Formats: sequence, structure tokens, C-alpha cells
Amino acid sequence: MLNKLNRIRRDFNQWSLFTAAIGFFVAIPILTITVYLFDGVGNMWEHIVNYFLLQYIQNSIVLLIGTGILTTLVGTSSAWVISNYNFPLRSVFKWLLFLPMAIPSYIVAYAYVGLLGNGGTLIGCLQTIGFSIQKIELMNIYGLIWVLSFSLFPYVYASSLAMFSSIPRSIRESSDLLGASNWRYLKSVAFPLASPAIISGLFLVFMEVLNDYGAAKYYGINTFTTGIFRTWTMLEDLQSAVYLSALLIVMVVIINGLLKWQRGNKSYAVKGSTDQLKSTDRIDLKGSKRLLVWMIVGIPILFGLLLPLGQLFYWATLTYQKTLNIELLQIAGQSFAIALVTTGIIILTSLALIYFSRWNHLKSLHFFKKIATIGYVIPGAIIGIGVIRSSQSFITFFDDVFSMEIGFIFYSSSVVLIYAYVFRFLAVVFHPLEANSLKVGKNISEASYLLHAGKIKTLFNIELPLLRTALLTSGILVFIDVLKELPLTLILKPYNVQTLAVKAYEYANDERVAEAAIPALMLIFTITISMAFVSYLQKRDQIKRDQIKR
Amino acid sequence: MLKYSILLLFTVSLMFSCKNSKEKTEQVQKQEITLYTHRHYDSDKVIFEKFEQETGIKINVVKASADELIQKLESEGEQTPADLLLTVDAGRLVRAKNKGLLQSVDSKVLDSTIPSYLKDQENKWFGLTKRARIIAYSKERVKPEELTTYEALTESKWENKILIRASSNIYNQSLLASIIANNGKAEAKTWAEGLVTNFARVPKGNDRDQIKAILAGEGDLAVVNTYYIGKLLNSKDPVEVNAANAVGLFFPNQNDRGTHINISGIGVTKHAPNKANAIKFMEYLVSKEVQEIFAKTNYEYPVNASASTSELLRSWGDFKEDHLSLTKLGELNKAAVITFDEVAWDKGPNAQ
Repeated sequence: MLNKLNRIRRDFNQWSLFTAAIGFFVAIPILTITVYLFDGVGNMWEHIVNYFLLQYIQNSIVLLIGTGILTTLVGTSSAWVISNYNFPLRSVFKWLLFLPMAIPSYIVAYAYVGLLGNGGTLIGCLQTIGFSIQKIELMNIYGLIWVLSFSLFPYVYASSLAMFSSIPRSIRESSDLLGASNWRYLKSVAFPLASPAIISGLFLVFMEVLNDYGAAKYYGINTFTTGIFRTWTMLEDLQSAVYLSALLIVMVVIINGLLKWQRGNKSYAVKGSTDQLKSTDRIDLKGSKRLLVWMIVGIPILFGLLLPLGQLFYWATLTYQKTLNIELLQIAGQSFAIALVTTGIIILTSLALIYFSRWNHLKSLHFFKKIATIGYVIPGAIIGIGVIRSSQSFITFFDDVFSMEIGFIFYSSSVVLIYAYVFRFLAVVFHPLEANSLKVGKNISEASYLLHAGKIKTLFNIELPLLRTALLTSGILVFIDVLKELPLTLILKPYNVQTLAVKAYEYANDERVAEAAIPALMLIFTITISMAFVSYLQKRDQIKRDQIKR
Repeated sequence: MLKYSILLLFTVSLMFSCKNSKEKTEQVQKQEITLYTHRHYDSDKVIFEKFEQETGIKINVVKASADELIQKLESEGEQTPADLLLTVDAGRLVRAKNKGLLQSVDSKVLDSTIPSYLKDQENKWFGLTKRARIIAYSKERVKPEELTTYEALTESKWENKILIRASSNIYNQSLLASIIANNGKAEAKTWAEGLVTNFARVPKGNDRDQIKAILAGEGDLAVVNTYYIGKLLNSKDPVEVNAANAVGLFFPNQNDRGTHINISGIGVTKHAPNKANAIKFMEYLVSKEVQEIFAKTNYEYPVNASASTSELLRSWGDFKEDHLSLTKLGELNKAAVITFDEVAWDKGPNAQ
């Protein structure tokens, strides 16, 4: 015991304090929710177990398996084609394949019913060219799998593309020299090398699927998330809702375990020449093969982007006079500002957590890192409850102790909303940054310390510039997530703040889907512009790096 | 250069998102009320703006679902900025009242305008507009003479013909609650079971989707709210207009208790900082002029008897309403949800 205390005293430094403070601050909502668990299940628990629990589990598993297979198939095949073949319009396709990410899944769900449902736009087209078709039934679990897969596959595409194109040239050359066919290379070299990346993309897909509310509700599929809302609001049983969330978290932990187990202890550190594949290394295609490749990249773009976007544009032409106005531009501005500020704060928080905890030597504090990044798997509604309740205790505390009424700060500014976003999305930035900072290793930093540069100076002059690419990519991901976020925003946004996602949802929820088109398109436009900007920055970095090399 | 422009953008954004808190402190001296509302209709915005112009009282609007707003009110406690809670059903208002979130209001205008079955006995909430849940039938395949009551929808001649949305929908919950109140729990469950047997498909989509499904021939009858038909008829989307033109409206139970109605209603919160202005606003909402806007632009029935309805509403004819106290609907809401689950409503006709 004494020994332990001594060790703690030895390892403790000011960074331990900072780590604990930040970790605790970010973890408050989850701690609040955990406290609820001690109150036991609510009175409707038995009813839920009798009528729903099995269905929630079944549906969630079917959804996960279905979207897992489809997104892996679509995401990796398109990434493979883009990184290995030369064909006309390749760079356009490479870019377009990211874009389905910009459309919120529930909007895609509505758009598909507008296309293929009763009197749908596409059905109308098919009828005029002679097909006798009434509608294509999409509002079932398979339809939901379809919709979610084609709106979420870019997560897998992005991560596997990065991996496929970073495989050193030497490996490809060795494989060619040994006489391996293209297929063999894919199967035995590239795919295993990329599998950790594919799995990390897949994990993001799974989290999005489990957290989906709008699409599942509209299609009438009972999942954990719809069940949590139902239990909380209709059965008026917050306790059981919290227990359902706990079960959902257990499910996530199992998935995470399965994915890790699948990956096993394999680690494919790629050493040697970092010379990456150049455009000249890609294979030129002609004739029927070119057609096949176009199909592989064209199908995801058609179903994930062009069809939903086409329907949205059609609706937009019907309703723009009513919905396109100056107010909407202000809303777009507000959404953008909030997302940008949140992204900045999340990046700062992640960096602080990563580096403070590295500089701190107290092992027991690593727990805070884990708990602080758990927000990504908890349904927005439950986080909302946690945040409201904890900010409430904070306000009461100030009222009681200092007799200060600080409630207005919480209810009329975006402070609470941004704080909740930070908790919800910290993992999106934290994990890639941590992985990348580990990849950079300690050698460089230690060299800098030896040269008498302080920790902070080293961070800003050496470590951060090395993380630039990772910062940009994870930053844009979180930016998009915040822009699209719905349930948390609905609960926590103050009266004078409005976002595009909320505006679109309000129209759609009010059964005015066509009116939702303009705000949805504006949301998509904002995201696309931001993605283009980041990709421009990355390209510039690449050029600079190439110049340095020469 | 780029670095500085990003920094500049970030600072501007920061100011932009913090601006709100400053605004608030300035507003404290001003006349204002804060409204928590579940309604997202454009008609409301017009009405709010008119009120602001006429009285100089500013309205801060927070829109979210009623459940979330109730949760929010509960959490915010005494320091809530909200003066009013506006919902699209009586059930949620009853729940808010039972949680002690609303307070009694003493207003002669409200008392004399709103019939007693459309408001709370203790004057903690008041109905603003009425919506009837009716049967929309295919003009092509169904004669209105074949229809009588909600109860008759379970007859075997409607097998595979009935379209209705999922049980998570509050309008369905209220309808079943009214049947429980009128016929008792056991009979209501038998009714729900019988209806599920007659479903044309698994419940899905919204009220508009049910009407579109009639046009497509998936079913012949849909249980929907009146104002959705008004919205479809006035939609910009030709598909929706066609769907609405293909159906007729039938107001059930005219020979006994009357057609089930629900309300959109409002109450003053327990800790309202601006009670006087909040009451002024409620009185404004039930005025003849505003009630007519609700009827004309949102196709809802006014609660103020002196307000004239719109031409469209008149064309649907007068009807007898179920005068069941709406408080009952709130009390029985949870029983309705449980009954829906017991008859496997959301799994549709083949699950039984």
C-alpha cells in the first residue's frame, strides 16, 4: 500500500492534474448516466423484455451484418479500383466517392421513397418507357440496409483507399517479380495489409448504423435507438431507457472485441522504402475491362449520390420559392460557425488529452482517456439527458453556494450544445490522432528535448506539423458529423440557434419532405465545399513534400 | 496567409456562436416571452410575427418534440427560461401537468372562448386547435355508405384493406386511448387485434404515405388526420395532389359518440418568468382573427366558435365530435401504448 502511494507520488506531475481535469470534465455526462444505473430498471422493463428486446437485438444484428457486408464490398472494391487502375475520369470518381457522406442517412431514406415509392419519380420514368411497375418496396429491413449502406460506405472507402495507396512500391514490385497475378496480389498482400484500416472504417459504419434514428423510424424498423426513444418518451420510463443504452454499449464492446479478435495479433508495419505508388504504376485499362471498372465505381455513386441528389433537386424545384430565403442563409452561417468552433475545441481537447497524458506518468489516469471517448457509441438522446442533468447540478451549485443565477448562460447560448458535441465526437478525432502520434514515435520528440526545447515548444514546432494530415482528415470528419448531428442538437440547442440539419428534419418530420430539400441541399453543399477545401490543403502539402524530397 | 485567414474565420465563428449570450443580457429589460413548442408550421411563424408587431413583445421560440421539451423543463426546474409549452396533443400536456410543470391561469377570455372538454379542469392547459382523426377511403373502390364507425373497421370485409401508421404515432395512441375510455380496456384490445388482422401491410411511413398507398391500390381505407389531406391538396408535388384527390373523407361514429378529435394545446409553465405576457399571448392565439389563420393555412379546426373555418374545411361538412374529456386521453396514453405492443401492431397482419 505504502509502496503504491510512493509510486504515485513519484509519477505525479502537473500534467497528471491536467489530464485528470480534462478527462473528468469531458466524462461528466457518462458519469451522470452511470449513476442512473444504480437506481435499477424501471417499471416497464418487463414489458420491454416481453415484447421488444429480442426484436431489438435481432434487427440490430441483421442491420449490422447487412450493412457490414455491403459497405465492405462497395467501399473496398471502389478503393481498390481507384488506387490501382488508370481510366478516364478516375480523379473525378475518386472525389465523388467521398460525397455520399455529405447526405444525412435519413434524408437518403426519404429520397428513396420519393424515387421508388408510390408515384415515385423513378417509377414514373420506368412507367413511361413501358414497364408496368407500381413501386419497389423499400420500407423494410432490407431497404434500410440498402439505404444505410449506400450512404455510409465512404467511411470504408476512405480508410481503405488511404491504406491501398500507401502500400510502398517495393512491395508491389516484389509481388510482381514473384509472378503473382493482380488478383493474387490483392488477396494475399493488399487486402491483409489494408484490413486494419477497413475494420476501423467498418467500426465507424457500425456506430452510425446503431445510432441511426430517422431512417429506421420512417421505415418502421425497431432498433435499439428507436427503442430507447420509445421507452423514454412513450412508456415514460427513463430508467429502462438508460438500461437499454447500457445494453447497446455492451453490444458495441462486443463488436469492438470481435473486430479486434479478427485482426488478431497481426501487425502489418510496413517498413522500408516509403516511396508510394505513382500514377505511372497504375494499370491502364481498355475495352470491356474499362467498362467493368466504371461499373464498380459508378454503381456506388449512382445509388449513394446521384439518385438521392436527383430526387432532392426535383423536390427543390417544387419548393424553392417558399423555402429559399435569407433566413436559411443565416441558418447555414450559424451551422457552419458552430461546427467550426466545435471542431476546433475537439481538436484542442484531443491534443491535450493525448499529450498531457503522455507527459504524465501516472498509469491509473489512462482510464480517463477511455471513458472520455466513449461518447461516440452512446445515443444522442441519452447524452442529452446526461448533459442536461449535469449542467443542472452545476447551476444549482452556483445558486446555492454563491447565490448566482447562471442559468441563462446555459439556456441561451450554445455552450452546452458545443460541450455535448465535444463529448459525443471526441473519439472521431482522438483515435486517429493518437494512432498517428504513436506512429510518429518518441524518437523525434526526444531528440528535440535533448536540444533543450521544452515540451510545449516541441509540441508546436515538431509534433503538430507531423500530425497535420491526420489533423485535417479527422477534423473534416468531425466537422461533417457535427453539421449532420440531429438528436443532440434538437434537445440542447438554444432558442435563437438553428442548424440546417434541424431545419431539414423539422420539415421532413412534419411530413413536408419536399420542403426539406433546400435545407438538405444547402447542408450537402456546405459539406462538399469544406471537403474540397481540405482536399486542396492536402494536395498542397503533398506538393510541398515532393519538392522537399527533390 | 492561409493560416491567418483560417484563424480569422475561426474567431469570427467564435464570436458568432457566442453572440447569443450577449443578446440575452440585453433582452432582460425588454418585453419578451419564451415558448417551447412542438409545432413546426409556417402558419405559426406568421402568427408570432404578427403578435410581435402588434404588442412589441418578443417571442423566443424553442422547437423540439414535446417529450424532449418536457424533459428539458423538468431538468431546468426553477431557472427555466420557458414561459409556455405548446404541443400537438393533449396527452403530453396532461403529462406535463402531472409532473407539476404547468400552472393555473385565470383568464376570462380563455374561459369564455374554449369549451370545457377542450381544456384542463384546473386551467393548467388549453386547446388551441382541433384535429379530427378520420377515415380516408378510396373514391374508386369504396362507397361511403359502407362505413360507419371505428369499431366497424374490424369487420372481415375490410381484410387486407386498412392502412395506418405505426404505434409510435401520438395520433394513433390518442385514438386507441379514446376507445379504451369509451369501450373499456378489454374491448379496446380486441378492437386493436381485429384491426391488425385487417391491415393491408406492416405499418410504416407517415399519414401522407398512407393516402398515397390508397392511390396506388395497396389498401382502400386509411386512418389519418384531416389537416394532412388539406396539406396534400395544397402541395407543390403533383403526386401528393393526385393522392388527395383520389380519397374521400368519412367522419366515423356520427350516430353515437362522434368522431375522435385531438388538440394542439398550450399551458403556462410553473416557473414562467413572464406570466402576464404569456397569458396575453394565449389570449391572442384564441382570438377570432388568429384562429382563422390556423384554419386557412394549416387546415385545423378552430376552438373559438366565432371564427369561421376555411372553404376547404367547410366543404368537408360539419360533424359531431367526441366530447370525451381530453384529460382522459392523457391518462390512458400509456395503457394505449402497452395495448399496441400486446397486439403486435407494428409487426403487421402476418405476425399474429
